[in-house]
Amino acid sequence: MVNDGDYVAIFNSVHRVMKAEKHLKEQKLQILLIPAPRALSSDCGLAIRYGAGDREQVEGVLRTAGLAPEEIYLKSGDRYLRVDSEF
Amino acid sequence: MHEIDCRNIPCPGPVIRAKKAIEGAGGERVRIILDAGAPRENVTRFATSRGYRVEEEQLADGYALTIAAGAVQMPAVPRSPASGSAVVLVASDRLGNGPDDLGKLLMKNFLISLLEVAEPPEKMFFLNSGVLLTVNGAETLEALVKLADAGVEIMSCGVCLDFFSVRNELAVGSVTNMLAIAESMLQGNAVIRL
Repeated sequence: MVNDGDYVAIFNSVHRVMKAEKHLKEQKLQILLIPAPRALSSDCGLAIRYGAGDREQVEGVLRTAGLAPEEIYLKSGDRYLRVDSEF
Repeated sequence: MHEIDCRNIPCPGPVIRAKKAIEGAGGERVRIILDAGAPRENVTRFATSRGYRVEEEQLADGYALTIAAGAVQMPAVPRSPASGSAVVLVASDRLGNGPDDLGKLLMKNFLISLLEVAEPPEKMFFLNSGVLLTVNGAETLEALVKLADAGVEIMSCGVCLDFFSVRNELAVGSVTNMLAIAESMLQGNAVIRL
């Protein structure tokens, strides 16, 4: 479900990730709440997937809402690269 | 030895009759005459899933299965279907009882996770509000299209699509009816109801 070039934001609580999904959907952003990829297991096992084109908006909305993710990864080939939010 | 002829009986009749005959035989061998194709395969699968020994003989017109129920029957064998033969019944757009938003999240997670299991189900039936998962705009569509591409048969209940007025919005798999759903459930495969 995570394609090359996609971003995956990992959250540490199911309540936070559901709130984040709600905020992002209200902004009509193309995101998908997915099970955290096995390689990136987190406590609640949930993550939000988005494309590079939406990155600035997604991460901006989350920061403004006080819902910054625990970690963000970029899928690159078969690997996940940890990245820092620049927004 | 009891003998029953189940030729020219539509599915799932042969399996039902075979089951009754075996269970009523008091451990004696039962000879069941079947048409080739689905009846033969379904009865064989049913019998082996129960741990019965099956001897097969090809006839001029069909097959004769001699099934020994008594000695080799294993106690209530947990169904361990042949690889990929499970049937999943998705009877709701939510997984489990609880808050709607959590149920929808869990259903989506379940369907996405099916992409990673070693043996995906053979068939998935969507009925009642489950059909809302197979139509345009559903967040589950991407995962279901991938499952369909991987060979999983995705089928949605036509009555249900009509009820929700979304028949024209069906975006993955095909439309099916209750007879096909009932038959698949009775074929002896593991049925997993969500």
